[in-house]
Amino acid sequence: MQKLRWAAVCVILVALMGWPSSAGAQVIERELRERIVPKITIAVAGFAPFVMHGEDLGKLGASVLIADLRFTTVFDVMDPATLPFEPRTVQLDQERPLFPGLNSLKVQQLAVGQVSSRGRETVVEGRLFDVAAGNMIFGKRYVGDPKFYRLMIHRFADDIMFHLTGEKGVAQTRIAFVSTVSRTAKEIFVMDYDGANPVAHTGNQSINLSPRWSPDGRMIAYTSYRNGNPDLFVLNIDSIRRDVLSAQRGLNATPAWSPDGQWLVFAMSAGGGTNLFLIPKGGGTPKALTTGPPISVSPSFSPNGRQIVFNSDRGGSPQIYVMDVDGTNLQRVTFQGNYNSSPRWSPRGEKIVFMCRLAGNQICLINPDGTGLQQLTSLGSNEDPSWSPDGRHIVFTSTRMGHRDIFVMHADGTEQTRITSTGQDNYLPDWSP
Amino acid sequence: MRHGTRPGVLLTALLLAMGVALLGCPKRPDLSQAGPAAVGPGAAGPGAAGPGAAGPAAVGPAAVVAPRPRVGEPLVTRPTPPAEAAVQPIPGAPGAAVPAASPLKDVFFDFDKADIREDQKAALNHNVGWLKASARVKITVEGHCDERGTAEYNLGLGERRAKAVKDYLVDARIAADRIATISYGKERPFVLGHDESAWKWNRRGHFVISGH
Repeated sequence: MQKLRWAAVCVILVALMGWPSSAGAQVIERELRERIVPKITIAVAGFAPFVMHGEDLGKLGASVLIADLRFTTVFDVMDPATLPFEPRTVQLDQERPLFPGLNSLKVQQLAVGQVSSRGRETVVEGRLFDVAAGNMIFGKRYVGDPKFYRLMIHRFADDIMFHLTGEKGVAQTRIAFVSTVSRTAKEIFVMDYDGANPVAHTGNQSINLSPRWSPDGRMIAYTSYRNGNPDLFVLNIDSIRRDVLSAQRGLNATPAWSPDGQWLVFAMSAGGGTNLFLIPKGGGTPKALTTGPPISVSPSFSPNGRQIVFNSDRGGSPQIYVMDVDGTNLQRVTFQGNYNSSPRWSPRGEKIVFMCRLAGNQICLINPDGTGLQQLTSLGSNEDPSWSPDGRHIVFTSTRMGHRDIFVMHADGTEQTRITSTGQDNYLPDWSP
Repeated sequence: MRHGTRPGVLLTALLLAMGVALLGCPKRPDLSQAGPAAVGPGAAGPGAAGPGAAGPAAVGPAAVVAPRPRVGEPLVTRPTPPAEAAVQPIPGAPGAAVPAASPLKDVFFDFDKADIREDQKAALNHNVGWLKASARVKITVEGHCDERGTAEYNLGLGERRAKAVKDYLVDARIAADRIATISYGKERPFVLGHDESAWKWNRRGHFVISGH
């Protein structure tokens, strides 16, 4: 297995601080260490034309695979036009003659796909080659109903990612979000991570908000006004079963799952301010984590489950706070700007992403100790950030192209891309595990 | 992970998911009547634009949920029960009954504030008088926000505004059990628009007669 290589590069900065004749040379050396992560250069070939219902699945498969691989930030995917052969004419078992040409372009990996049909099912044969070693790394056949064709390609992309880096890819993940489907109805939808295949998961024609995936990806907690009050529900995404978790008068809103999936923290307004409460996933008596008149909403667990980051106006304006999971050890994280909101702890724990008001509503990163503030967006009004499970990407809402749409970007703020374009108001995204 | 010899031909069967059309989801009472016509920020208000001029649904099969297959799992079919069968809507929920022309006036707030403004007390006192004269009427006070804050924080802010209005009424000797509150955050804007001319109408406490 070829591993992602991590190289340490030492940069020696030699500063010559003048040459005074009496003191002699004074040299200050400074050593900087940087982690350089070289991208893996990969070419995609095969995917000969295979037309079904007027659509060339070969062409679609190559474009989905290339998009998946590029999105990882791990791969440098060759532009098909720069390859020394016509990629779509490449047949299975004819890959090896291509290796010398690829080697001369310093292409390390070659992914080849072939689409066919077997009865009612679509078959994708996918192979990955180590060009330099001249070996096949894996070969796999993906079989399914044609309507799941994109998912088969996503699976191939995740297999390539895993075999070359040991990391789980996100090509098969999904994003839950809220879509304004009519004048009064806001429903929970789930789409593929690239915006394809949006499917409604509520249909009650009231307001449904704040979908949050359970850590096992089988359930979504959300708030619904379907019974005339913003109550907290949990729906099982496979069985379409849904249960009321909390229906106290007033808000039962903005849920967050603990990393072990056994608990939820959510905001409840019964009896005073809007405070955070901890409740077992199967229901029970909520335990207060915050008290008093301030607003406390939008909790998010640290990945080790010991702390919760949340949004509160207890200091006079909405700011980001961290506390232990029992409600103690409260610490304010943000001090810059008069409106910071919607925090989410990163999957590896080192960052918090949130909405910052710095020349409009933007997406910012900060370290949990309050250092290292970094602004990631600058266009339009942006909110609702949520991490991809590998921490490499962030999904968020932006108005930069008119109404609210869902965008994704890399965690460093690059490649900000809209993934909803339904002409409707789409917001409150949550990235699945 | 390297298979040096032949392609590992893994025959994977795909979980076939049967997307069963969700049978008619129970509708809750339509809140759409609670549009600007119900109250209106006075004749001067730009209140003609109702909330959600976004038009009819165009996203996806809005009532069909297809469970996702997982490649590599054995072929399985699973019937899908009707959506949301587990919970029934409560008839007559708050917000169900909105008269075309409400005798009760809205009150408006400053940005990120829930204090009752001096210039809003006349409207509230008018409502107090009307409620005292209509002793059997029950109301719901809706708390609303403009679009600038985040959707989730605004749920809390709308709640605080609704409670501030309720507190004012209770202080004026309106029985607390006649007054329910609900926050809509920024989900039901009164006026569509992206500047203060719209925002000032959307930061409001809206009165709805919920029972007699």
